[in-house]
Amino acid sequence: MNPDGPLSPHPPVAGRVLDAQLHLLDRQVLDADGVPVTTADDIEIDGLEAGVPIPPGAPAPSLTALLTGPVLGTRIFGGRPPSSRLIRILWKDVADVGIVISLGVRGGSLDADWVERWVRDKIIARIPGGRHDPR
Amino acid sequence: MKKLLGLALGVLTAIGGFVDIGDLVTNAVVGSRFGLSLVWVVLVGVVGICLFANMSGRVAAASGRATFEVIRERLGARAGLANLGASFFINLMTVTAELGGIALALQLASSVQYLLWIPVAVVAVWIVIWRVRFAIMENVAGLLGLCLVVFAVALFLLKPDWANLAGQALAPAVPGSETGAGYWYYAVALFGAAMTPYEVFFFSSGAVEEGWSVKDLGQARSNVLVGFPLGGLLSVSIAACAAVVLLPAGVAVTSLSQVVLPVAEGGGKLALAFVIVGILAATFGAALETTLSSGYTLAQFFGWSWGKFRRPVQAARFHLSMILCLVVGVGVLATGVDPVLVTEYSVVFSAIALPLTYLPVLIVANDPQYMGHHVNKRPVNVLAMIYLVIILAASVAAIPLMIITGAGS
Repeated sequence: MNPDGPLSPHPPVAGRVLDAQLHLLDRQVLDADGVPVTTADDIEIDGLEAGVPIPPGAPAPSLTALLTGPVLGTRIFGGRPPSSRLIRILWKDVADVGIVISLGVRGGSLDADWVERWVRDKIIARIPGGRHDPR
Repeated sequence: MKKLLGLALGVLTAIGGFVDIGDLVTNAVVGSRFGLSLVWVVLVGVVGICLFANMSGRVAAASGRATFEVIRERLGARAGLANLGASFFINLMTVTAELGGIALALQLASSVQYLLWIPVAVVAVWIVIWRVRFAIMENVAGLLGLCLVVFAVALFLLKPDWANLAGQALAPAVPGSETGAGYWYYAVALFGAAMTPYEVFFFSSGAVEEGWSVKDLGQARSNVLVGFPLGGLLSVSIAACAAVVLLPAGVAVTSLSQVVLPVAEGGGKLALAFVIVGILAATFGAALETTLSSGYTLAQFFGWSWGKFRRPVQAARFHLSMILCLVVGVGVLATGVDPVLVTEYSVVFSAIALPLTYLPVLIVANDPQYMGHHVNKRPVNVLAMIYLVIILAASVAAIPLMIITGAGS
């Protein structure tokens, strides 16, 4: 394969083709009830090392998770947090990708929602009227 | 019948909600220094805000996405964050100015020093945001804001030289006592006051709050297209009152009491009472809108759960961020900084930030994935492109003009 030549056309794939930049990054993520969870701050791809070409015949890299939390800072300003610090929304939990990314699970079970839960339980729920339904 | 009532209510709310402390102060300052020679700017600004508020409402109704979600998606994380920083900072400045405006209006009514009213103002604003339904909040403030019509009434009672006023408005010229740079500085400020970005954040998020669908677009459009121009007329009558009374007397407006002076002179005590209620309602309504807008922009950028239609516990970070914004606003006012001065700076900074908000809205309004067949029609796009040029020019010119004129002094 000539490294400077045009890329060979990609093999036909089943299903939809998603452009990570266009369809995933910076999209709003909603949970199964339609409640906003976060925005897709970054994505995690398995089987891909930055700057290292993929050897022919290796299994195709796969998208494993949407990332959120401090990873937004490192995406903008550079660097990478240790893998243990990444807050992941597993790709298998994603139900649909449209103008929003819809999850098939509820936000309450996700690590991505822990700050929201903390603020809710420690601050907002303790202010009188915090559970009042405005409608 | 019910539909007609809804329409009337929407229009009246839009009129009352159009004017905020920025419009009040800037129009009075301009009227007292430049007469009606800058009325054309209000006209340009009103057409612009109609155009883009309508567009952002349409995006929200067709796609369910509010403006700042769209901004981040289209600009990406980096430019989106820079945009958030600028928009949020200006919004916070406007929150501060509106809170100060409430306190100043209460001072006018009570003669109690405004600093003592600030805690009252901020607690009242927070309770409404915490507790009151979105529709009630919007309608009450908007309807009471209609009391500002008394500026137009006072103008008639003052029996001005109409030919002279019309001459100033139709053949704009820089008054002899002012410089050209000062004239253009206030042109930019007026434009910024009419097109403040928070109106678009609030309008599009409000569309989501009230669950608009494509069916509601017609009513939304008439609210904007009738209400905002009538609101613009209120702005012009504020400037005209100042031009009739304060300009000949050589008084350049630096405080809220000078803004209402012509009304008191034209209409007496009763008119003064109305105008104070009107200013109170307008600044209170705008304080609600700007505080909510701070929460909306942050929540939409980071993807948090937001909205007054949810219980506060279901939008915890959204409510916490608004509480913090109000605390910061009070902190700034507690330094004793003049709220009128904060207002004057906030409208100019708004003008600087205009392209950041309006460009992404225009891009998404043309994206069929979001809009389906509700994408912009060609005439709308042509007009919007013309406005982008004006907006860019105002944005680029704002800082140099600010430096040359020493912020208009």
